[in-house]
Amino acid sequence: MPVNIDSRGLACPEPVIMAKKAIEENEQITVLVDNDMAVENIRRLALKMACSFSVTEREAGMWEIALTRTGAVAHLPPGSLEDELSCAVVAGKETGPLVVVLSDNHMGRGDDVLGDILIRSFVHTLLQLKPLPYKVICYNSGVKLAVKDSTVLDDLQQLEKDGVDILVCGTCVNYFEIGDQVAAGHISNMYDIAETMAGAGRLMRP
Amino acid sequence: MEEQRYIVFLFPSVSYALKAEKILKAAGTAHKLIPVPRHISSDCGVCLRTTEDKQLDVAGELLGRVKWDKVVLL
Repeated sequence: MPVNIDSRGLACPEPVIMAKKAIEENEQITVLVDNDMAVENIRRLALKMACSFSVTEREAGMWEIALTRTGAVAHLPPGSLEDELSCAVVAGKETGPLVVVLSDNHMGRGDDVLGDILIRSFVHTLLQLKPLPYKVICYNSGVKLAVKDSTVLDDLQQLEKDGVDILVCGTCVNYFEIGDQVAAGHISNMYDIAETMAGAGRLMRP
Repeated sequence: MEEQRYIVFLFPSVSYALKAEKILKAAGTAHKLIPVPRHISSDCGVCLRTTEDKQLDVAGELLGRVKWDKVVLL
């Protein structure tokens, strides 16, 4: 039987710290949370601690997360979890998760050759941000960054491995006829894109 | 297995780095254009990263075609 944890009403980083403690002591746990930042933080925890992760939205604004250990219990070095938590961005009332918008396959206007170098540097540098962005959205020609022969594909794939959700605009890949070449992120729609942008504390657009 | 170490080729300007990239692309030599790491320079420049074992291959491709400043181990 999984151990049940109710972290509703608790502020970040409490839910993820409770989850970490519980999964270190138990094979299987479920955690109830009431904010999507906690879902995100626990998802990253699962990645780091080799746990399977599944989340179900029980009702509006209330999620049940199930974690099951898939390997030996991983003990994270002290401080390593706290460094990556996204609490900092939700601490202030005017802020929320950081969302990166890639609306073009170049960075800036003026010269496309230069813009190509800049976007490659930009995406590579995203990997070094702490905390990492919550989500990356690709639309218009930005979707070309997520296809097989993209020069930033390896960086986008690494971001995904590190727990960043990458939304790729379905209309756009359809328009460019590259639907079969998308190799990072998942195809998304305007509802998710608009909701993600509306819920972001900060939007970062290179 | 020992983890592969990376090196970077630093160039006098962005256009040199771009030219070098074209040459390596044509030669099929694995490489990646990345921002110059902060601990090497504060300039907003780009450099070419490759694995340590590819250093001679890359140097061989670039020799006499593109000038580079130095090679730094990451």
